[in-house]
Amino acid sequence: MLTRQQSLFVNDYQRGLVIPDRLNQRTHACYESLAERMLEVYRLGTGRRRRELHRDVHQLFEADPECPLRRIEAFCKLLDDRAVYATQDRRAAAALRRAVFGEAAAMHPLVERRDQLFEHSAEDVRRQISERLQRDWQDISDNLFADVIEFNRLESFPGYAGPRELLSRYNVAQIQAALFSAIAITVRSGADFKRILRAARLARLMHTISRADSGGWQIELTGPASVLRETRRYGVNFARFLPALICCSDWKMEAVMETRGLRNLRLLLSSADGLRSHLPPDDEFDSAIEADFAAKWGEEPREGWKLLREAEILHAGQKTFIPDFVLEHKTGRRVLLEIIGFWTPEYLEQRIRTLSVFKDVQILLAVQEAKLTRIAAEVKGAEIIPFRKSLLVKAVLEALLGREGSGDR
Amino acid sequence: MAASVASLSYSAGTLLLTGVPVGRLHGWMPDVGWVYDDRAGACRSDAQHNIRVTAELERRRIRFENRIPVAREVHWRGESICELRREQLAAVEAWQQSGGRGCIVMPTGTGKTEVALRIMQLTRVSTLVVAPVRDLMYQWHQRILGSLNYDAGIIGDNIHRVHPVSVTTYDSACIHMPTLGDQFGLIIFDECHHLPGPIRRDAARMSAAGYRLGLTATLERSDGLHGDLRGLIGPTVYELSITAVRGKALADYDVVRIPVHLSASEQRRYEILAEEVQTYFYQARQAEPGFTWEQLCMSSAVSGDARRALRAFHAKKSIEDRAEEKLQTLEDLFRLHAHERCIVFAGSNAMARDVSMRFLIPCLLSHCGKRERQEILEGFASGRYRAIVANQVLDEGIDVPAAKVAIVIGGLGSSRQARQRLGRILRRSGNERAILYEVVCVGTKDEQRSRERRRHETFKGIRRKRGRSAC
Repeated sequence: MLTRQQSLFVNDYQRGLVIPDRLNQRTHACYESLAERMLEVYRLGTGRRRRELHRDVHQLFEADPECPLRRIEAFCKLLDDRAVYATQDRRAAAALRRAVFGEAAAMHPLVERRDQLFEHSAEDVRRQISERLQRDWQDISDNLFADVIEFNRLESFPGYAGPRELLSRYNVAQIQAALFSAIAITVRSGADFKRILRAARLARLMHTISRADSGGWQIELTGPASVLRETRRYGVNFARFLPALICCSDWKMEAVMETRGLRNLRLLLSSADGLRSHLPPDDEFDSAIEADFAAKWGEEPREGWKLLREAEILHAGQKTFIPDFVLEHKTGRRVLLEIIGFWTPEYLEQRIRTLSVFKDVQILLAVQEAKLTRIAAEVKGAEIIPFRKSLLVKAVLEALLGREGSGDR
Repeated sequence: MAASVASLSYSAGTLLLTGVPVGRLHGWMPDVGWVYDDRAGACRSDAQHNIRVTAELERRRIRFENRIPVAREVHWRGESICELRREQLAAVEAWQQSGGRGCIVMPTGTGKTEVALRIMQLTRVSTLVVAPVRDLMYQWHQRILGSLNYDAGIIGDNIHRVHPVSVTTYDSACIHMPTLGDQFGLIIFDECHHLPGPIRRDAARMSAAGYRLGLTATLERSDGLHGDLRGLIGPTVYELSITAVRGKALADYDVVRIPVHLSASEQRRYEILAEEVQTYFYQARQAEPGFTWEQLCMSSAVSGDARRALRAFHAKKSIEDRAEEKLQTLEDLFRLHAHERCIVFAGSNAMARDVSMRFLIPCLLSHCGKRERQEILEGFASGRYRAIVANQVLDEGIDVPAAKVAIVIGGLGSSRQARQRLGRILRRSGNERAILYEVVCVGTKDEQRSRERRRHETFKGIRRKRGRSAC
């Protein structure tokens, strides 16, 4: 991630928007070749010092005098993020300093020209130390501060797959940096809310879920203390959340920014903005069993029941439960279906505890049971469909029909 | 369930209270700022109100389950705190009398740390010490080990070792307080003028500690936020001014200003750069009256002319910082004080390294590891190193063994920084007078910064020598 000092954005007071710096192919056509040359500096830069690499990157931008300083510095940071600098220098440099300063201490002060009072000239002392350590003075002075960050040497550069990847990373990184100043964000989501909620939880954010007017869900994300006052404290969490959000589909995001004394500005973003995340997209289905079951059921209703994937959020406070499927009957009746593949007794217990919070909804629990032992005894309060290798459509239909028969609502 | 027994718990830096309507809480304790949080189904407030809230609920005879852990008691084994001076004892007493909450203002070098250690010893409760930078954090660790014979935990500098007595930095405290805030009974803010930043203050707000102590030499902040310390820590319970202790607890001191000149080539480059900067500045002011350099440096979209001007500005400052004659003057001063401990303060890391390279004396910079730093300071204390150079790491409170000569060859103009630097050489030892040299480039910004440094009352009425005093 970038730091605040590398963050570059424009406040559009007319429209009330914060617009992070974004490079695109139309308006910044030259950047693809610039990015390629920046990568080249690092690829060919093994063994060179960080400061030299940065100087070279700055040099490349001489061609574009209108380029803001922060953009150049941001690129240096992103390149450094994927670079490996030598670290063993640290001890060596500290040891070298100890030796050099230790030798010189007795001869303090080192004077330019020796005289009767002070007989140690800097030049003599350097020669003396050089002999004592059996190293060239040039070599000593080159390495005396090798552990200072600017002087670190590049060891290798795993880098970015290509110039486009670097530019995509830049665009996302600038939004992340702008989000440091966010106090709350709201995500409207159609289908992908399960992954969005999971990403929010990983970023340690709290959510408030409601139905959106436009259909779908509206998820407001803040931190615990946000309810007491507007705080930028959770800006880092929002920034951490963003790359995972970008992996999701069908969403719109609005961040409320803190703007000292001025009316609140907003940062708007959506899945249609064409941003690319550096994170690998996580699997659409949690497990192959679910994908397999959905394929078997098909798009068409069976016995009047249609299978919808992850179409419901059950939420109470910070507890949420998104069942794998919703079975919707043509009469409008809805039954939830959750498939549990691999499990341990603790996992199952925790799942059941979550479900007990939502006890007024109907849930079918399909549990994989290699040996088909007495699972029902361990799981109370939910209807269980045990299965062995794969969940059969027939077993689920039977359970649904059984429900109809028993006359549940 | 028993008929809605209320419960109070600590949650990520806040208090959560269930079972009492928020309207009632507003009536009972209007100052606490309770808010109903429907995400959690409970009332929420800042954790710093813990003691106040508990006392109020008990006073109203509300039955509630208190899930906030009771602050752990600490048993010291063989403490060895040196005897306190009269003003130190008065400070401890004043803090106790204000119910264990408040700030103590004492000049650098008058033993704030001993006051805090005595308070820790007497309070005997789990304690978190918050220091501005990691060097100071380690120094607190050492002092607690030395005086209270306790190996404190460390939270910061990539270490996360939480013990009943721990030390941390403001930045780490702010980040980790949501998970630490209910584990300490006493929280100490060293150099507490750092606390009132908009986010940093969470270090105090998110802590449930009932006992709070702030230490500083200079309470006031230029943004006026020091007024908030009263709510975050407590009132100022004791204040000792620097003029009251001059010559008593502290050594007396002289300030000597040494003007140096840029070399001919430096002067030429300096003038070219200065003109470039001024031209830009003039044009910017035409467009926007009152435009300042701070604005330029802060503005995010520096490009084109501004980018070039900014570069010229930095280059110009670098010439001031690293003027060749400064090194020559330094040699003169080292000759003059060849047998005394000298600390040099440089204006930049680069200049600090220049000095280190030229005189082969150790330099304390942020890249130094803990061990190296310790070694340098110990070497300086034992007299093995007669001179060391530093940039900012020594700015605040770092215990530097009785140096009598400080040489400032660059730096910012803020009066607090200057005062703290001055404090460094004022440590009490014998009756020698301390000397602070300021080496300043004539006819540059350097000179102006020096004037700003002196504006503070501390410098007034001090004997001054003039001119090149060395040789």
